[in-house]
Amino acid sequence: MPSHGKVLIVDDEISIRRALHNTLHGMGFDVDDASTGEAALQLVREVAYDVMLLDINMPGIGGIRACREIRRSQPRLGILMLTVRDSEEDKVAALDAGADDYITKPFNIRELAARIRAALRRSFISRADPDAVVRIGNIELDPPRRLVRKGGEPVHLTPKEFDLLHYLMAHAGLPITHARLLHVVWGPEYGGELEYLRTFVRQLRKKLEDDPADPAYLLTDSHIGYRFAEAKPEPVGENA
Amino acid sequence: MDGKAEVAAGLVAGSSAGIKAHSRVSYWKAVQSRFGILRGCLAGAAAVALMTFVAFRLNLNLSTAGFLYLVTVVMIAVVWGFWEASVTSLIAVNCLNYFFVPPVLTWVVADPQNWIALATFEITALTVSRLSTRVKGQAMAEARQRAQVEKLYELSRRILLLDRRQNIGAQIVALIQEIFQTESVALFDATLAHLDVTGSEAGDLEVLARDAYLLDRPLEGAGGRGWAHVLRLGSKPAGAIALRGPQLDRLAMEPIASLAAIALERARSFEKESRAEAGRQTEQLRTAVLDALAHAFKTPLTVIRTASSGLLEGGRLSSDDVELASLIDEQAEHLNRLTSKLLQMARIDAAEVRLRRERLSVLALIENVLARYREQLHGRRVSVSDDASRLEVHGDREMLTMALGQFIDNASRYSTPASPISVAAEETLGEIIVTVHNEGPPIRPADRERIFERFYRAEESRHRAPGTGLGLSIAKKAAEAHGGRTWVVSEERAGTTFFFALPRGIRRQFDAVARQGSDS
Repeated sequence: MPSHGKVLIVDDEISIRRALHNTLHGMGFDVDDASTGEAALQLVREVAYDVMLLDINMPGIGGIRACREIRRSQPRLGILMLTVRDSEEDKVAALDAGADDYITKPFNIRELAARIRAALRRSFISRADPDAVVRIGNIELDPPRRLVRKGGEPVHLTPKEFDLLHYLMAHAGLPITHARLLHVVWGPEYGGELEYLRTFVRQLRKKLEDDPADPAYLLTDSHIGYRFAEAKPEPVGENA
Repeated sequence: MDGKAEVAAGLVAGSSAGIKAHSRVSYWKAVQSRFGILRGCLAGAAAVALMTFVAFRLNLNLSTAGFLYLVTVVMIAVVWGFWEASVTSLIAVNCLNYFFVPPVLTWVVADPQNWIALATFEITALTVSRLSTRVKGQAMAEARQRAQVEKLYELSRRILLLDRRQNIGAQIVALIQEIFQTESVALFDATLAHLDVTGSEAGDLEVLARDAYLLDRPLEGAGGRGWAHVLRLGSKPAGAIALRGPQLDRLAMEPIASLAAIALERARSFEKESRAEAGRQTEQLRTAVLDALAHAFKTPLTVIRTASSGLLEGGRLSSDDVELASLIDEQAEHLNRLTSKLLQMARIDAAEVRLRRERLSVLALIENVLARYREQLHGRRVSVSDDASRLEVHGDREMLTMALGQFIDNASRYSTPASPISVAAEETLGEIIVTVHNEGPPIRPADRERIFERFYRAEESRHRAPGTGLGLSIAKKAAEAHGGRTWVVSEERAGTTFFFALPRGIRRQFDAVARQGSDS
């Protein structure tokens, strides 16, 4: 069976490492594991991993600091943080430290696999042409022509709406924090203007979603940010 | 000079002046000694006798002898006082007459001019002794004033050094007793309804202090025995202090009372501070314990779910095995939800200590809750009223999300499958109300209160959907922690609506945010 990618599991609980190791191996990933952030720092220097599962709450340097250190030397490594506490502060801190995504324990392995794949794709996209046309579901975004189509029909977007959508679609499947979106689309002096961002997302939803109240593409990540749906959404009212 | 005299008199007697000043002076004299006047008179007589002896032996003339007597009278006035000097002057004028007015050694006054001399002597002696006594009285008053100010200064300095961990009232009365050498002191702390007393026969002072507090004005004890003054924190009376003692000045009452009030206030704020600190530490500890518990429960659950869902994903199971693995997976998830809710409940109990309030857009709050329950709500139409976009609440984001989440969770579980759910927000006079409406069988009237109780589950719902019996009690707790409330209205035809009401925050803040919202 060809490998789907090389995964490093970092968790201080041996039972979790064992369960994840066996399950992910069974799903076709190459798996290594480490029990501390320090050991992980050492390992990523020696082995080229595609994705790392990193527990936030570990003795020693802990997951967040390990993530920040590793991100510095490994810009393309997909980093998925594992957290027990369902706390937004932890999640935002993880994303700020350079993690691509997070998942709350306990999780369904199918969901974990989907997140791993999204993280793998990101590391692929970041290597790809930033001007490449992105197609997700029935939404198509053409960066050089600054054109967006929904089901083949052109959708008129303002320049800021386009930039926002472009960034979200380029990182489809991954959560982007409010602060990051404001920073990237509006500039470094922005960061706290949440209401501003919400207004734009509401406009985008009206233009792109079949039901803006129940978005299928432009998803809210509760109190953290937004996430563009990665795969083709279920065919609810879709005319493709 | 006059000004000073006024100050002195004022200090001695207070603003009610004159009459009391005299009573204070005579009181003070009587205290000096009951035999003081007699002793002074005897001393005066002795001094006059000595002068007479000396002057007679030296054969001094009338005017020289008169001056010598005058000096003697003034000395007596300075040392003893006016009355002693008066008696002395009378003796002196008689001696002058007998020994020096010709014909000497008789009471006869031959030359009428000498009557004038004797009268002049007596008037001068009386006037000079009166004046010198007054000057001396002023000097003493000034000295006492200085001493009083020094004592007050000492009190103010030492009151800052009181041990804030000990009973502050007892320390204040002991300190006043020590510095002002009072007979007794009573301090009534109205907030604690507590009396601190020191010294002898303090029973009537206790009554005096209480009365002063109740009447909210300064009081004087019966027969001038002691004074009481109200203690104020800000403008509110917080207690009273009563003092009695010989060296005490009525005028000192007010500054003493102010200093005692300041000491009490300082102690109070320190107490408040340390209570808040203790609360914060308790909360930290609880958070640490809850985090440890979460970790302890969630780790095995993670392993079980990883293994069960891993088995299912592996695709190598027989259909019977799939069934069994699914059961493990479902039940592990159920156990996980139960654990999460118990931990949430414990967190909400802990959060009574402190809410982390911030301004929150109601619409954003609702959107975030819906995003959290997205999977569970899949395929449902969920409508959100437009009003939500212009409303703001001032609350703890995590707790409100948790609470509204319970409503959404509840609506998705117990409503008619695939029926729409509507979320609305409105503003009433004093509250922001968020409602979650769903279609479905009504909740029995008897259950409408009880479903908000911990672990209570209505009879029918037990069979209809898996649940923990915790969700709605979490919502209720969260509302109450914000000073709000929850309730439900349920009817066969209209469906069920859950209400979550929070007291409206500061109007000004809300307006500012509403403006900002409409600008963008």
